[in-house]
Amino acid sequence: MFQFFSDALLRAADLALIAVALSAVYSLIRFPNVALVQYAVVGAFLAISLQSAGLGLVAAAALSTLAVGALAVLFNLAIFERLLKVESSIALIGSLALSMILSAVFLLVYGPTAYRLQLPVLAPIRLMGVRLTTWQLWTLGLSVVVLALFALLLLRTRLGAEMRAVATNAPLAAATGIETRRVTNIVVFLSGMMAAIGGITLALRGSVSIDMGTNLLLPVFAAAILGGLGNALSAIVGAIVIALAETVITNTNLGPLMGEAVWFLPASYAPVASFAILVLFLLFRPRGLFVSEVTRV
Amino acid sequence: MIEAKELRAGYGDGADILHGVSLNAHAREIVTILGPNGCGKSTLLKTIAGYVIPRAGQVLIDGMDAGHIPIQRKVRHNRVGYVPQTDNVFGTLTVAENLRLGAALLPRAERTARFEELLAAYPALAGKLNRKASALSGGERQVLSLVRALMPRPQILLLDEPSAGLSPLMMHEVFDAIAEVRDKHDLCILMVEQNAFEALGVADRAYVLALGKVALTAPAKDLLKDPAMRQLYLGGEIEAA
Repeated sequence: MFQFFSDALLRAADLALIAVALSAVYSLIRFPNVALVQYAVVGAFLAISLQSAGLGLVAAAALSTLAVGALAVLFNLAIFERLLKVESSIALIGSLALSMILSAVFLLVYGPTAYRLQLPVLAPIRLMGVRLTTWQLWTLGLSVVVLALFALLLLRTRLGAEMRAVATNAPLAAATGIETRRVTNIVVFLSGMMAAIGGITLALRGSVSIDMGTNLLLPVFAAAILGGLGNALSAIVGAIVIALAETVITNTNLGPLMGEAVWFLPASYAPVASFAILVLFLLFRPRGLFVSEVTRV
Repeated sequence: MIEAKELRAGYGDGADILHGVSLNAHAREIVTILGPNGCGKSTLLKTIAGYVIPRAGQVLIDGMDAGHIPIQRKVRHNRVGYVPQTDNVFGTLTVAENLRLGAALLPRAERTARFEELLAAYPALAGKLNRKASALSGGERQVLSLVRALMPRPQILLLDEPSAGLSPLMMHEVFDAIAEVRDKHDLCILMVEQNAFEALGVADRAYVLALGKVALTAPAKDLLKDPAMRQLYLGGEIEAA
């Protein structure tokens, strides 16, 4: 049982950072930026490249995180701000196009090979009967710290209040003297950083290849929609639900149903859980688990 | 203090809604803008505020051309406060957070004192500081939006239909609060209103718009007695000058 929960928790941590980033950006610029999952891949690849170039792990991760944040702002200013002047659906298509371009760039630069960060081999730890690697614990801790810092920023600082004000009512925020464009770009920068950290935590526990973004797209969107798109912190709960569903579907012995003693669904079937939950929520609760209003952070 | 000169404005590629509107308002004065639906009252206020960029003409604040300055900069640098007609509070934020956002433009040392000062002046909000603004009544929201706009000590206050959606009793309270604001804070208040007679009751002067032009302008007291004004609001039409 503990193994089941630890698997679900690790998967939730994978999804939560990117889902929160997606939801936070949506709350301000009102379109789901599909390219955000590719920012996670940029973060992972960039950290691997910087480490290969001789930087230490922490420096490579930090530099990559900042670079992806800056890249997210650049894309927002150069592409999405302009597309949003036409319509949000056009911006969504633009983000899909950017996502494909980024994927093509990864293929050109890195090829189809899977890459890994160079990490020292550390002894695994046993915790309540569960075997965890040290890197799993580090990534879990890092995700929790980043999400807690984001929550503190959002709920306890003036910038956070400005972010919530812009998300709730941008014209009124402007009438309160808030520079809405500056606040939006700060959120875009932070979201890019969170996505990059999400990618780096995945790289700390496994390999990174060009299809990582595509594989993340569905569960991340499902988590964000479950929390209520635009309701950033609720995306954490969405990520936990999706992770639990994925873990259940791949860890349940379906042997009795199949006429065999032991029969498990292959791990590649995990997205079925995300897809099923996504469809159910879009049908019956399209505004997510906690939502009574459309506009909130 | 604030002056519009021959303003022409409209939205996007659409036709002009304002056809050369001129008006002015001074310190310690409430000037109300009246007129039937669709005459361009709210567009005029939005153009003066900076939400709509004028196609021609000028918006002068203390003699300086501010027509192309967006609202957030007018609020930050020209000491303009603006209260929109609807959605005028941050519903997902608490009352205290709404007020603190308003106070954030003041120097740090002054914020707490200003917060306490306005809470003492509007005690109805003091007991509801931790309540979400969306949970307030219509009248309380109007007062909250007014106090939020007053927080950074504006010299000009732009109010877009402050009585919209209020019961007659609440409307009375809100107009009393507006008159009190002018007297206590020495403000120049430009107010668009649909409830003409109530607005004229607190205003010093009024402009009546028709078809995007100023049709009448006079002291509020005189307009209250004006037969043309009564004709406009109690049935009949008035032609643009």
